[in-house]
Amino acid sequence: MEPIDIGLIVSGGMLVLVVLGMRVAFAAATAGMIGLIWIFWAKFGYDPDRFGKAVTVAVKTAGQVPHSKISSQALSLIPTFILIGYLAYYAGLTKALFEAAKRWLAWVPGGLAVSTVFATAGFAAVSGASVATSAVFARIAIPEMLKIGYDKRFAAGVVAAGGTLASLIPPSAILVIYAIIVEQDVGKLLLAGFIPGMFSALIYGLLIIGMAMTIKNFGPAVSGFTWKERFQALPPALPILVVVMTIIFFVYNPFGGDAWGTPTEGGAIGAFVVFLMALYQGMRWSELKDALLETAKLSVMIFTIIWGVLIYVRFLGFAQLPNAFSDWITSLEMSPMLILVCILLAYAVLGMFMDAIGMLLLTLPVVYPAVMALNGGEGVSAADATFGMSGPMCAIWFGILVVKMAEFCLITPPIGLNCFVVAGVRDDLSVQDVFKGVTPFFLADAATIALLVAFPSIVLWLPGQV
Amino acid sequence: DQWNVSLWGKRRAFTEHVEKLAELVSEKTNGEFTLNISYGGLSKNKENLDGISIGAFEMAQFCAGYHRDKNPSITVLELPFLGVTSLEQEIELSMAVYEHPAVVKDLARWDATLLMPSPLPQYNLVGVGDAPKTLADFEGLSVRATGGIGKAMETVGAVPTSMSASEVRQAMDSGIVKAVSFAPHAHMSFGTIENGKWWTTNLNPGTVNCPVVVNTLALESLSDDHRDALLSSVDEALDHYVSHYNGQTMEAWGPALEERGIEQVTFSDTEIASFKEAAAAPAAAAWIEENTKRGLPAQELYDMVTGKIAAAN
Amino acid sequence: MAGSSLVLSDDSRLSQIDRSLYRLEQVLALVSGLAVFSLMLMAVVSVGGRNFFNQPLPGYVDWIEQAMPLIAFMGIAYAQRDGGHIRMDMVVGALKGRVLYLVEFITTAVILLVVVLLVWGTWSHFDRSFDFAMPMWSTDSSIDIGLPIWPAKLLAPVAFSVLSLRLALQLWAYARAIVTPDRAPVAIPLIADAATQAAMEAEHVSGRDE
Ligand code: NA
Ligand code: NA
Repeated sequence: MEPIDIGLIVSGGMLVLVVLGMRVAFAAATAGMIGLIWIFWAKFGYDPDRFGKAVTVAVKTAGQVPHSKISSQALSLIPTFILIGYLAYYAGLTKALFEAAKRWLAWVPGGLAVSTVFATAGFAAVSGASVATSAVFARIAIPEMLKIGYDKRFAAGVVAAGGTLASLIPPSAILVIYAIIVEQDVGKLLLAGFIPGMFSALIYGLLIIGMAMTIKNFGPAVSGFTWKERFQALPPALPILVVVMTIIFFVYNPFGGDAWGTPTEGGAIGAFVVFLMALYQGMRWSELKDALLETAKLSVMIFTIIWGVLIYVRFLGFAQLPNAFSDWITSLEMSPMLILVCILLAYAVLGMFMDAIGMLLLTLPVVYPAVMALNGGEGVSAADATFGMSGPMCAIWFGILVVKMAEFCLITPPIGLNCFVVAGVRDDLSVQDVFKGVTPFFLADAATIALLVAFPSIVLWLPGQV
Repeated sequence: DQWNVSLWGKRRAFTEHVEKLAELVSEKTNGEFTLNISYGGLSKNKENLDGISIGAFEMAQFCAGYHRDKNPSITVLELPFLGVTSLEQEIELSMAVYEHPAVVKDLARWDATLLMPSPLPQYNLVGVGDAPKTLADFEGLSVRATGGIGKAMETVGAVPTSMSASEVRQAMDSGIVKAVSFAPHAHMSFGTIENGKWWTTNLNPGTVNCPVVVNTLALESLSDDHRDALLSSVDEALDHYVSHYNGQTMEAWGPALEERGIEQVTFSDTEIASFKEAAAAPAAAAWIEENTKRGLPAQELYDMVTGKIAAAN
Repeated sequence: MAGSSLVLSDDSRLSQIDRSLYRLEQVLALVSGLAVFSLMLMAVVSVGGRNFFNQPLPGYVDWIEQAMPLIAFMGIAYAQRDGGHIRMDMVVGALKGRVLYLVEFITTAVILLVVVLLVWGTWSHFDRSFDFAMPMWSTDSSIDIGLPIWPAKLLAPVAFSVLSLRLALQLWAYARAIVTPDRAPVAIPLIADAATQAAMEAEHVSGRDE
């Protein structure tokens, strides 16, 4: 049997394990382990005497992956951004933000849900992790929405979808990871996420208003806040601006001087600023301990998926599947735009069964070079390029598209991390409930992605200015 | 036979000898012996020696400085200011070190046999801000330089800062580091010359040593024809590498600097001599002391390397 | 709690061991949380040192790489105990009683097998970087300031061993649930709908743990 056939069979087997309810991280690791054993044994000509040797080589090869892949500076952003989320919760920042959004925005139809979306968008400017954003807003926004009669599933859906904004609006762990995998300018990519992120928030908001106007008993507008009350709500939320400014200064100094550090450092310094605020708000050791435990738990589940998937990716490398796929894509006789759309659709399907970072780690080493080749190569000029943009710009555009797809997969069943996290916070909600509530947002995301594909300048205008 | 070869990144000047080797071996054996080259699919670059030791693949490339403790003996070739002047000389020197019994034994811990080097020219700095005119101008200059080169820069008052290669461009653009030390091909691929203002032509503090190794057992179990085909192709593969690096990379390098108006800073011989005096001897002494503790004939290795260079220059 | 499920307890031996192991797992998870906290402090030292004293933290990247395995591995059994590792529960969610516990038993057994293999694999990864005869027992070091890497590599087999214990305990619990499906199942994470149902039943049977 050819390595590629082994690759396909084992991949099918992994899907079966996932469907049977095996924890995704371990399903991927299992598939990777079995695949490696198979590949090495095949290399030994299926000699029964050398089966033990094949197992040894496979196990040792797989055993390298967890430590070697996890020890990376880029991945350190994930836990620090999760920590920011929980510390901000204990510092009362998220609550203040939500309160301000409520007083200013809740008068529109579906007002509290709209406020939730914009509060998560605002929080996205300090949080780089979607799951953490959903986790903290599930505690703050859902109870308030339930109080005034929202359907609990929809309320959960709003929070799950709103959380995804954190990975487009800078800072963003996942954009940094993309930049590192494809070796592109981190600062420009982060900048490029801003407008598409705000754009997504706007489309979410419009969708909710539309639903509120057509569906009976949807959830009332909340009016009656005086201007005085509105302005009073701003100062408690202001500290968030301090954090935002701190992080911005680590990516790009708006006054033209030197930035204060790298984006990776910016995330950690942002967490420190929030930590000081939480201390000022009177956070105790028991609360800090809770924040640390929750950070640890969310981090470990994400990292377990990462190394689990990477064991599987290592097996794919030995099965030579990436090369085969790359050759296949570039040999297709379809229009490049159609191929790109097919790639995005493939992401949507794959994203159903994967988490965001796992999916990027799995696919980018193969898909990214293929997309760059479609556009005419890494160094192509805008004039000669298939998609009408230079190589580096295409890398940014595709990055934002992929991250938006990855965010989409955080809310699609059967495996959508954000929905799991929201259900985990609320005892009265099952994962299925959250998936039901989040369904309308698929439409909004589909519309956003279509617009980003059709009008790349939404993505490329801002990074083009620096 | 089918061998898996673990490289990383993408095909570039730095991997041309392996590509050429694969081509030659396949030609000489009528396709009976092939090298399947994988760029990053089989291992992380820092774990390539582990993969060789496990037997996961048969050939791999790595750099000694990635993990000094894995291969202390060959880090002698990464000492600052050895004074190597050409790629050809770097090859000759590396090969001599690779054949030293202590080095063979050092790599045998990983079941690895050293096949050939991937010679790189001397590192130099690309920087932003005012170009240094004298060594004194390095005082307080933040520079991205790792390991031995970082230590060397420290001796003239520079402040070495560590970060991953992929963050280097961003760090330099935003002023976190004022200068970056790389070989020319890396300056081009990591984009430091895009916003760089100056380049040191002759600081030459040192370079990294990146051998290609094979799994010893795999090499021994090749048929005589196939082993012959492999070993007899090494010289030609290296010739191809050198002409490619000297040709394409170094030919692109000069114009790339000129196109971007990058100032070329050349230090006087006396300046370089005093830098060398400050940095070279202490680094060498420290290296010898540390590696003697590791049970290596460190003094002997060092004397061999410096002796060969002195004889050639 | 992120993605956690209900775990019941009673005064059986199984449940006692479950709670003891849980305390250990919690300590390890807290270590992981503190490692995240230390990442934050390291950035403060590095950035502050660089901007105010022109003296960055030497080997900053090396230290981050040392801290990452603490964060990534130490909480792994804690998450498994609470059912925190995500999965697709549409099929298992539709199952009940013996069939459910049987499927859970099988998938958990496969995981245990793979994790035991990984203890072996990650141990050998550690072992290659460790040698008593060498200075600092090190045969693998970090790129910038040459820190020995074996302590960080050792964390993986240690954490995976604790996870193996947890998985073995869960196998025992699933086996018990298969044999006596009418008893309240302890020491295993219950899936969403079953959890609510069991919680109601359990109110007068046993206390909820945490
Ligand atoms: Na964000
Ligand atoms: Na999904």
